[in-house]
Amino acid sequence: LLLKESRELERNPVASKGSIHVPQVRLIDQAYRLFAETKEHLFESKSAEEHAKLLRVQHNLEVSTKQAIFLGSSVSDTIKTCIAMGNERAAVKVKSEFKVPDKRWYWLKACALATVGNWDALEAF
Amino acid sequence: MAQIPNLDNSPLNLNALREQSRKDLLNIVDSIRGSKCLVIDPKLAGTLSLILQTSVLKEYGAELRILSADPLQTGCSKVVYLVRSQPNYMKLVADQMKNDEAKGLQRDYFLYFVPCRTIACEKILEEEKVHQKLTIGEYPLYLVPLDEDVLSFELEYSLQECLIEGDTSSVWHVAKAIHKLEFAFGVIPNIRAKGVASTKATELLNNMQLEDPVNMDNMGMAEIDTLILLDREVDMVTPMCSQLTYEGLLDELLEIQNGTVEVDASIMGVQQDGKKVKVPLNSSDKLYKEIRDLNLPVAVQVVHQKATSIQQDYAEVKSTNTQSVSELKDFVKRLNSLPEITRHVNLAQHLQSSATKRSFFARVEIEQIIREVENYETPRCFEYIEDIIQKQEPIETVLRLLVLFSLTNAGLPKKIFDYLRREILHSYGFEHMPLLYNLEKAGLVKRQESRSNWVGISRALQLIVDIKDPEKPPDDISYIFSGYAPLSIRLVQHAVRSGWQPIEQPLKLLPGPHLDLKRGVSSISSSLEVFPGSVGQQSPDRGGLRSLVLVVFIGGVTSAEIAALRFLSAKEGMGYDFLVATTKVITGNTLLRPIMASSKEGTI
Repeated sequence: LLLKESRELERNPVASKGSIHVPQVRLIDQAYRLFAETKEHLFESKSAEEHAKLLRVQHNLEVSTKQAIFLGSSVSDTIKTCIAMGNERAAVKVKSEFKVPDKRWYWLKACALATVGNWDALEAF
Repeated sequence: MAQIPNLDNSPLNLNALREQSRKDLLNIVDSIRGSKCLVIDPKLAGTLSLILQTSVLKEYGAELRILSADPLQTGCSKVVYLVRSQPNYMKLVADQMKNDEAKGLQRDYFLYFVPCRTIACEKILEEEKVHQKLTIGEYPLYLVPLDEDVLSFELEYSLQECLIEGDTSSVWHVAKAIHKLEFAFGVIPNIRAKGVASTKATELLNNMQLEDPVNMDNMGMAEIDTLILLDREVDMVTPMCSQLTYEGLLDELLEIQNGTVEVDASIMGVQQDGKKVKVPLNSSDKLYKEIRDLNLPVAVQVVHQKATSIQQDYAEVKSTNTQSVSELKDFVKRLNSLPEITRHVNLAQHLQSSATKRSFFARVEIEQIIREVENYETPRCFEYIEDIIQKQEPIETVLRLLVLFSLTNAGLPKKIFDYLRREILHSYGFEHMPLLYNLEKAGLVKRQESRSNWVGISRALQLIVDIKDPEKPPDDISYIFSGYAPLSIRLVQHAVRSGWQPIEQPLKLLPGPHLDLKRGVSSISSSLEVFPGSVGQQSPDRGGLRSLVLVVFIGGVTSAEIAALRFLSAKEGMGYDFLVATTKVITGNTLLRPIMASSKEGTI
């Protein structure tokens, strides 16, 4: 079990470093399944699952916006980028998919709107 | 002012120590004839700047290069590598040699390990098939004096190696360094150790003494009376707190490296945009010596007073015409300290602009609440931590508070633990998962399982002190953190005063075993006998002399803790001088950073 554990952990950082999208997701998926086999790693397995999901979402976003700026950023940053680009719908989707708490959501939104200087929208919200 | 600190006022003859290191290095350079190219690893280059000026090496006909991944550019036919024995450097050396070979360059290669060769490194060289072409030597640099009372082993990874990777080579390094000190200054008669690494180091030290005994006959009294070894693991609380002293804040905000701090030229009042200026910081600067250990507001007051008094003098000189030459001389002398004053006015101003922000006060207040463990305040702490995660403040800040909370409360309740971990991963990216895992493995952040014994420890050792009158000059080390006496230094205080015995109880609550032993000149072989610990008066035969205590921190020490030790030795009635040796001078951030870096690399 110990051996497996260390293997799993090694996999993750290696996985997140790779720049090719598809094998990366596969690796993380694999890590997720390995984590899920043991009981102690409930948190780790959930995170790995979410990580894979995030990468898929980011990939789709990159395809739809034709800009390679999403991959590798965090959930929060993804939301920020979406809002800054004026794509509020995508941001809301990410929010609900990752169950982002309202408090963080409002902070991120205000932050993103302020960075792009969209004061009208900031006032409206 | 020079970066190399002046050591004349040191309680121990550190000049000799540094002189030896310098001579060793020059001997190495000198032993290779002709012009040569000296290639130094980047970290070591900084360390060496504390020993000698680089111009000296040039006088010896050496070109200087910093080891990097790029091919070596030099016209010299002899190449001397001077690197710390770390596997990744071996790879770089091998690559450079292979590159030369590919170009058809014939060179002589020398490799000096600092401080000594290791099997792992040589194995790599063999695998890379360059071992044969190298002449291998050692440069035994174990200790570097950072200041007249601070020595550093310059092992920044020591803590993480011990706690996470289970690599205890740094412990051996520490023991070896102390053993080398004993050759110069005599066998240290009293040793007190606390923590796994410290007791291990003591054991190693004894073994070394058996194998390679220090000859006691031609030496007088041991110059160091007591050796206190402490693991950083014993007190992780203190480095997680924001330091409030002048030096501590300089380190926290600007990061002191090798006794200098690099700042924007604009801060120092020089009109050069974008340029960086190096400012040396050590006790050779008299004003700095005076204010480094004071809390920032007090330090600012002192600088202010100095500046105004010079102003007054100046006004006096101008107004009165009948000046004797000697009076003028005095005045000019005082003017000499002017550059020091301007330097610190500039630095202090810069610090103050950050340290008087509301966010800074809020953080210090939260830290205080966490240390005092008021249960009804816990939700507020979580809210604060949640806030700064969501605002994506530097992750070090978040982790420091999280670790602090986990330590004083024996962990976090599972629900909150998972929630905050998730928030961290969401805000800073999933790649931080190995980091969280490593912190958990090191016991720095964990799930709450048992009741905390922090309250018990802090009561027994009086760590939380109510400072009634902040204006009064302080009489206890708790001034350092405005009402919190650093645990590590409290332990040292007890250890020199009465040994471990009276504080057995709280000591048992802290991680790692403790050890109290006396090593006699006559009974070296039976030196492992545990001494009862009631050494009320130490070395009465020393007469009026103050005895010297060497305090070794395995895993690093903060400037604030050094300040507390200096405060103790300056206190009346304390017959001790402290000499601090540490694997590295750290702040909470620099303590966590190696853990973060290695977690990223995935070299677990």
